[in-house]
Amino acid sequence: MTYLKSHRFIGSAFTAITMLSITRTITSNGDLTSTVTIAQALVFASPIALAGLAGIWAERAGVINIGLEGMMILGTFGAGWAGWQWGAWAGVLAGIIFGAIGGLLLAVAAVTFGVDQIIAGTAINLLALGTTKFLAILLFTNAPGGGQAQSPPIKGKIPVFTLDSIVEPLTALHEKGIFFVSDLAGLVAGLFYNMSLLTIITLLLFIMTSYLLWKTAFGLRLRSAGENPWAADSLGVKVVQYKYAAVVFSGMLAGLGGAYLSIASTIYRNGNTAGRGYIGLATMIFGDWRPGGTAAGAIMFGYIDTLRLIDTGNQNVKGLILLGAIILFTIGAWMLRSSRRNTAIGFLLLGAVMIGAYFSATSFPPEVAQVAPYITTLLVLATASQNLRPPAADGVPYRKGEDH
Amino acid sequence: MSENSVAVELQGIWKRFPGVIANSDINLKVASGTVHAIVGENGAGKSTLMKILYGMQKADEGIISINGKALVFNSPSDAIAAGIGMVHQHFMLADNFTVLENIILGSEPKSGGKLDFAKARKLISDIAAENGLAVNSDVLVSELGVGDRQRIEILKVLYRGAHILILDEPTAVLVPHEVEELFNTLRDLKKQGFTVIFISHKLDEVLSIADEITVIRQGTTVGSVNPHTENVSARVLAEMMVGSELPTPQSVGNTIQDQVVLTVENLGVIAAGGKAIVDGVSFKIRAGEILGIAGVEGNGQAEILNALMGIESATGKVMFQDEDISKKSTRYRRDLGIGFIPEDRQRQALLLGAPLWENRMLGHQTKAPNAKGFWLNPRGAKADTKRIVAEYDVRTPSIDVNASALSGGNQQKLIVGREMSGDPKLLIAAHPTRGVDVGAQAAIWDHIRNARQAGLAVLLISADLDELIGLSDSIKVLLRGKFVADADPATVTPQELGTAMTGAGRAA
Repeated sequence: MTYLKSHRFIGSAFTAITMLSITRTITSNGDLTSTVTIAQALVFASPIALAGLAGIWAERAGVINIGLEGMMILGTFGAGWAGWQWGAWAGVLAGIIFGAIGGLLLAVAAVTFGVDQIIAGTAINLLALGTTKFLAILLFTNAPGGGQAQSPPIKGKIPVFTLDSIVEPLTALHEKGIFFVSDLAGLVAGLFYNMSLLTIITLLLFIMTSYLLWKTAFGLRLRSAGENPWAADSLGVKVVQYKYAAVVFSGMLAGLGGAYLSIASTIYRNGNTAGRGYIGLATMIFGDWRPGGTAAGAIMFGYIDTLRLIDTGNQNVKGLILLGAIILFTIGAWMLRSSRRNTAIGFLLLGAVMIGAYFSATSFPPEVAQVAPYITTLLVLATASQNLRPPAADGVPYRKGEDH
Repeated sequence: MSENSVAVELQGIWKRFPGVIANSDINLKVASGTVHAIVGENGAGKSTLMKILYGMQKADEGIISINGKALVFNSPSDAIAAGIGMVHQHFMLADNFTVLENIILGSEPKSGGKLDFAKARKLISDIAAENGLAVNSDVLVSELGVGDRQRIEILKVLYRGAHILILDEPTAVLVPHEVEELFNTLRDLKKQGFTVIFISHKLDEVLSIADEITVIRQGTTVGSVNPHTENVSARVLAEMMVGSELPTPQSVGNTIQDQVVLTVENLGVIAAGGKAIVDGVSFKIRAGEILGIAGVEGNGQAEILNALMGIESATGKVMFQDEDISKKSTRYRRDLGIGFIPEDRQRQALLLGAPLWENRMLGHQTKAPNAKGFWLNPRGAKADTKRIVAEYDVRTPSIDVNASALSGGNQQKLIVGREMSGDPKLLIAAHPTRGVDVGAQAAIWDHIRNARQAGLAVLLISADLDELIGLSDSIKVLLRGKFVADADPATVTPQELGTAMTGAGRAA
């Protein structure tokens, strides 16, 4: 019920690859589904996915975590500071611990003192930003290779795997340009090319979350704190403890996401998160507060980011526009069938505008791609908001014994 | 368990909150295998007592014994362990959870680290089958109606192995046939040896289900009766609850003055579909007169009220004293001295998330004591709120609590107190005592009668026909947006009025 149903998963994967393949064939832009693109997309997607997952943990327990960005910043700093001195794994650990401190701070403010959760989270964002900037000046300015706004390089590496025996033949197949087959080959090869151990850990954390939150008594109780804490309390569930556990773990995940960023760029740099905590929140909403959808949202953001950044011939963004139009047409056609006519017509019109743009312009500024994920999230919210099921008591302060 | 053993015994229970004593020296014995009703007015302390018995609150003093053993409950878990289960007045269910998840929460069957859904499903269907409580455990609670939700609450309690069930005002949210179903369930449970504690202020229901009835008044137990052996009527019980003879809504004497306060001519309201909901209604109310409108709900009463208050646009003419106010704003009408007690108090009369004194300002925010010129005057509003709380007997720990913390009856008393403040010339009142218990009802009637004496004109709409007949100087019957009959309150009976309301006959 809450697990990805396997047939649905295969169905949507098939649809996605088909649409990518159509786009790739029309634009004859092999980059869209190449091994390197996919591998890089996963690197970009992972920190966002971790932030989204962190959001799921906190909000499933009924605490809105706007402070994700701040907890990520703390993670980037912790990884830079410890990684430079004691190596990459120490950096990961420090990132998690620093994130956990951010989470603990939110838990104390929001759970114990009942502070408005949006305000508490925003305060953590500001606090994290200021503190890390200050500490960077203090600790990194005179360090070898460091500066006022960045740490010295992180020592050592997190293992990265490439399975040549899979990647090489599949990449060769990708370059043949066969419809669907080549694209699938590129996608699969991307999974075995430069795969970081941290990405694998991220994937495992998603699986673990699905299992823990939806298949165990612990998860049921944790989610009950976000759905109806008064009911949970009346059944002897220790609501406050569950909220604390969830929010601190949320901080740890966000911290790990921050550490991922620092390790991927080998240093801590001020502003390295660039709003990924907020994007993580967006993916969580996109994914209906569930791990599967959140992962899909993060991959979408990561994929678009990658295409924007490796855009050599200025054609990738154009390809994205076409892909967007195809997606809009598909959804619009599907909606026409399910008799939601007005929304469907809106989608089809928007798709037509994008097609028009695609054929009339030779290239697009990269900023178009930058805003695409946000527009997508807005579209999802606008069309699917009746079907989204946020936790019923999300953001509601809870005090034991008080009636609601 | 023998028929005469005592399942629950409470001795000398005291509970104090800042500013109020909720329970004082409560003594109660519940025999096992019986349905024991606890009755009392709103705010008499029934719910607090049950929260103490269920471990949600701790008594300041007193002894709780279950099956003859004295126990101390620090949390609901302790009470659950002692075999006590509670069905709350406001359901304690998570809407986004399935029925199964709601039932097992807190005592989940596990295999390894995993939740054992198969076992849970089996357990639930077994319990459901034993007690005739049919449910589908895999639907979301949000898709279920009130009756189903209550069944889930009962299943939750049985699932935890409770043999003592507390039901807090279980019938308040049910329609009559659901009440009958619930009572059948309770009788079944009783046959199987369960003990049921049933809290209510609906005396007819209590008399039909209970084996013993304990009355609580102002936080303390004032007596117990056995409806099987003693001949008790609802009236006797009500008098025990109130502590004095039961009041009647009779208005005495003729206080009608010459001056016409409200003249309504040919009032009409058109619904969104183009149908006339109010169709050419005309009437006059003089100072000191109470005009009652009788009618089955949904025949245009709400629309007449909204049109008179300027909330809904209408055709026709509304005159206040000598002034045509048909096109005036609600604010203007209120400033003229029109008080308004709407049908839906939570939607139209209160800000549930705001303290009582802010609610006191609502609708009267431009006048003393709530305002000094342009500025609001919180101090004046607070002082006046204290006056209302005292005069109208609003049971509340303080005027700083949110309106949502008050029971429905107490919310209503606050609203009536507010609308009667500042000497209104006209009161437009819908169901002024709905949800209010008998004692407070009498107080509200007194306030309306006294104001009538002083020259208040009242337009009264009420589903309580005794109230309507007792208070009104004259009654008009509304059917499908039109007045179809006049009734003389001095001679008409509720039965005759009821017939006229359905259009079946003509009232006297």
